Amino acid sequence: MIEIRCLKPVAGVFFAFALCCFTIVPAWAAVKDTLVYSWSSNVGELNPHMYSPNQMFAQSMVYEPLVKFTEGGKVIPWLAEKWSVSPDGKVYTFFLRKGVVFSDGTPLQAPAVKKNFEAVLANKDRHKWLELVVQIDKVEAVDDLTFRLTMKNAYYPTLQELCLIRPLRFMSPAAMPEDGNTSRGIKKAVGSGPWVLAETRKGEFDLFERNEKYWGVKPKFKKLLIKVIPDPNTRAVAMETREIDLIHGAAGHGAGQLSLDAFDRFARDPKYITKVSQPLATRVLAVNSKRGPTADLAVRKAIQHTVNKAALVKAVFYSIETQADTLFSPDTPYSNLGLKPFGYDPALAAKLLDGAGWKQPAAGAIRVKGGAELSLDLCFVGNNAQQKAIAEVIQGDLKKVGIKVNLVGEEPDSNQNRQKTGEFSLIFNETWGAPYDPHSFCSSMRTPSHADYQAQLGLPMKAEIDAKIGEALLSIEEAKRQELYRFILTTLHDQAVYLPLTYMTGIIVHRQDLKGAQYGPTKFEIPFELIERQ
Amino acid sequence: MMRFAVRRLLLLPPLLLAVSVVVFLILHLGPNDPAMSYLRLSQIPPTDEALAAAREFLGLNKPLLAQYVDWLTRALKLDFGLSYVTRRPVLDEIIYYLPATLNLAGISLVLTLVLSIPLGMWAALNRDRWPDHLTRGLAFFGVSMPNFWLAFLLVTVFSIWLGWLPPLGRGTPAHIVMPAVSLALMSTAINIRLIRASMLENLNSRSVLYARARGLKERTVVGVHVLKNSLIPVVTAIGMHAGELLGGAVVVENIFAWPGVGRFAVSAIYNRDYPVMQCFILFMVVIFVVCNLLVDICYAWLDPRIRLAGGENS
Repeated sequence: MIEIRCLKPVAGVFFAFALCCFTIVPAWAAVKDTLVYSWSSNVGELNPHMYSPNQMFAQSMVYEPLVKFTEGGKVIPWLAEKWSVSPDGKVYTFFLRKGVVFSDGTPLQAPAVKKNFEAVLANKDRHKWLELVVQIDKVEAVDDLTFRLTMKNAYYPTLQELCLIRPLRFMSPAAMPEDGNTSRGIKKAVGSGPWVLAETRKGEFDLFERNEKYWGVKPKFKKLLIKVIPDPNTRAVAMETREIDLIHGAAGHGAGQLSLDAFDRFARDPKYITKVSQPLATRVLAVNSKRGPTADLAVRKAIQHTVNKAALVKAVFYSIETQADTLFSPDTPYSNLGLKPFGYDPALAAKLLDGAGWKQPAAGAIRVKGGAELSLDLCFVGNNAQQKAIAEVIQGDLKKVGIKVNLVGEEPDSNQNRQKTGEFSLIFNETWGAPYDPHSFCSSMRTPSHADYQAQLGLPMKAEIDAKIGEALLSIEEAKRQELYRFILTTLHDQAVYLPLTYMTGIIVHRQDLKGAQYGPTKFEIPFELIERQ
Repeated sequence: MMRFAVRRLLLLPPLLLAVSVVVFLILHLGPNDPAMSYLRLSQIPPTDEALAAAREFLGLNKPLLAQYVDWLTRALKLDFGLSYVTRRPVLDEIIYYLPATLNLAGISLVLTLVLSIPLGMWAALNRDRWPDHLTRGLAFFGVSMPNFWLAFLLVTVFSIWLGWLPPLGRGTPAHIVMPAVSLALMSTAINIRLIRASMLENLNSRSVLYARARGLKERTVVGVHVLKNSLIPVVTAIGMHAGELLGGAVVVENIFAWPGVGRFAVSAIYNRDYPVMQCFILFMVVIFVVCNLLVDICYAWLDPRIRLAGGENS
């Protein structure tokens, strides 16, 4: 019996441990006036003028723009209730909304707006990716409610870029550092938006409270708790066990909120309401027109006709993303051009390749021309399961017409280096979505560090494309701008330097007790203020 | 005894130096460019000018040896640089997240000992009978089951099906049950077998035979003579478990969204946040070495043969 006696105290300790664990009141149960959401990291200190580790969706909850981007690219008044533009398109005068205050009670007036602009301009190098910042000549507070912005040139996307979440939104001057240089940090996150950051516990959560001084429609929930959950599978469990109320964001690998198969499972379960957003951006492969066999237009066109996108959408994306046939979806500004899709037609692809001299020595063999094999490098980020799955499907499709595809899965940095140097035949790429598409994305095509630039480098009309992009950005006539975009987008389409795959969408999952969850006009904003518990 | 401890402590600096060289070389001779990671994580487009500026700023233009000396000089002052992602000092971040990991690993260690000692004894005292077979089966299961898989099974049963335990986060004692059990299982399984084997060896020793011959009660024989001697290898095992538990926490913390240093390290590895990776590896080496040192010292204290073998004859 010796063993039983030895076991007694041990069993006692274990029993006490178990009892203490099982009798805890579940602190994770949903609280009525708190909406619980989750994100892969903390939201950061929420500096409106800086980037990582500040999370964009949270910056947009606390800080507001002068004008706001809405569906279809329309810009509406926001902190500025109206504005005027000088005939030469260079001077913008904004008339600010009366009575708006920051959450600390400081009035949001023209001097505060000017101070925020100056803070951004003081750190110009950091923001020069944004053409608007480069184009700003002068900022003035004409009176308390009138702010004037003078540009060096008539830059047409000024209003669109003022809608961006960063860097041109406004914090209370009282919360800025004494020298006004916000690039080195801020005292506290104080904005004028519907939410106020109340508490942050690193690695655990961020708690937001409703801004009771908010000028617009106040959030229905009093509090918004954002738990830190890095793993999408853990997030799915958290939804099933009522640890969180809402899943809202991108689906799929990496920064995705939820894996596509988990979303599919929720969509089949009647306990949950699931929604898929409108197209938010385009998932494409950039095809290199400068290097290797893809320098041949016939090869690029053959690739377009050979990839079975419908099957890809069904097998890899569970039809949550939709098939893309053009670089920008037709509802993107200036992009509804009626471009003719290439269409799935392997026989036509084979004919194009034959015509261009890429002959197949035997059925099923790799095509050759002048002794060189028709062999392409498809580059992807090695641990991105979704890119790998897509790459494998494409490899299988192209093999059918005698094109050999080498899958090159690498570290993110090596992949990015290839984008910069152009060492790829095909490489994954994404457009930036509203409000950046098409103007900011097209503007970046002129930068050598982007895959777009490298992919287009072999086009005989590359210089013309770049010149027209520059012209479109500075044009003040709507009709002329549309014509310039028509040329740019039609040329890129006809030259087959992009293989559009899918229009990326966002997903929403919640239980039946919530209503009002929806997508904002851009993928970076989550309209939490419209959500309520039934 | 003192000389033994001092001698072991003196070995620590050269060991850390050697590890730091290896870690530094692995991270810097790999195919990745830290400057590219820095730009990607700072969301700065990697133009040639930006890359050149980042290399200059991060000191990557210097020869490798100079870079290492720079890093080491700063590391000696406990300055491991700023995280590319959070922009805060790396060591502060690790120290911030460490208590949660120590909490989890500590409870798992207690659970390991509380479960494995009685089960190991039970198996040894009932050799080749059903309790022995049962614990052997349990140990086999425990060693074969990866902790992440057990974690998912526990979440499915206790959080999704039964709704008894919270699936993630930290706060109440209920939150630690599943992470601790997932983490402790493998060490428990190893320990059960270790204690069983050690008990059996001691039960057959001459001292036990003489004790029985002296007419001592069976309870005294087992409780004092056998158990005390059988626990000496467990002390060594604890040193190993400390490492296993801290290493295992890296996976378990991610599954249970436990805000510990393991999860911080995983996100750093995923993001290629070099300063964090470098400091984390070195930090873990220090913890491992210190745990093993403490165990060795305890061991030498418990078992004079070790001290004598170590050359201390006085």
